[in-house]
Amino acid sequence: MNKNVAEIIDALAAHQDHASIEVLEELGTNSPDNEVREYTSRALVRKNVHDSLKIVIINQGKGINDLSPSVAMSTINEILSLKDKSEVIKILDDTINMHSDEAVKENARSVKSLLALS
Amino acid sequence: MAKINNVGLNLGQKIANPFKTSRNSTTNPFKYSNFEGNTLQFADVFEGFEPQKNTGKLKMISSSVAGSMTKLKSLLPESIVNFVNRVREGVSNAWNYAKNTNISDVKGIKTINEVMNADILELGKGISDSVSTLGKGISDKMSFLNKDVREVGKDLSDKMAFLNTDVAETELGKKWNALISKIIPNKITKDKSVDELKAMWEAEIAASTKEAA
Repeated sequence: MNKNVAEIIDALAAHQDHASIEVLEELGTNSPDNEVREYTSRALVRKNVHDSLKIVIINQGKGINDLSPSVAMSTINEILSLKDKSEVIKILDDTINMHSDEAVKENARSVKSLLALS
Repeated sequence: MAKINNVGLNLGQKIANPFKTSRNSTTNPFKYSNFEGNTLQFADVFEGFEPQKNTGKLKMISSSVAGSMTKLKSLLPESIVNFVNRVREGVSNAWNYAKNTNISDVKGIKTINEVMNADILELGKGISDSVSTLGKGISDKMSFLNKDVREVGKDLSDKMAFLNTDVAETELGKKWNALISKIIPNKITKDKSVDELKAMWEAEIAASTKEAA
């Protein structure tokens, strides 16, 4: 991955502005490059706010639902290493109960099980 | 058949005693007595070797000490020998100097004699002058203590006023930032706005796409 892109993602991750989340989703999670998607997903998890966590949990093909196992696993690891897991548990519960896609529900259930074990 | 038997007999002998030939042709002076349980006679091998029972232990010790001394001498570095010679020479010179010099002419003794013979009032005057000069110097240096503390504080406040200004806005700060931007033209930090970061990211994507094409 390009060093400049990594620095841009880091800089956006440090922003509190909601617009930074939108840019990360638009350019990062939709990137054809696995490394960029992985780095972006981890940055979104580290933000640990509702809007950023929602992107990597409920969207098919992004974050924990990414087709690349390395991206999915990195995102799950980042979720597991969060200090405050209250927001992520809330989103996972909502996803398990209300999401229309069965595969997304299943992934959310698996991550919640891992969180319970960790 | 007889030939075959002879061959078999010869083979049997060779297997039973394979070292026979080599034993007979050896020139080893110890022969085989060592390996057949017999002890080797000292006198046979080391001619003239006789344990000297009557030689005094004192002689042996003295010769070993003499040997050690010789070895020690050879181990001494040359510089130590030179050092000892120089010390010996120095002592000799000192003795000659002491023997031929009048005690009252020695430099330190001469000065003491002069002081002891001087007028005590003159000496006291000199000390008094020195002390008063020293006191005046200290007094001048501590004169700021008589100043009003508010005046001192004001001066200090004026001098430290620069601490309230933004470093980046100062002349030096501007020069520093200009220098940094020359060295690192597009340093990506969180200080840049989201729009700027987005534009930079899009530029990176465009550049990589162009490169791939």
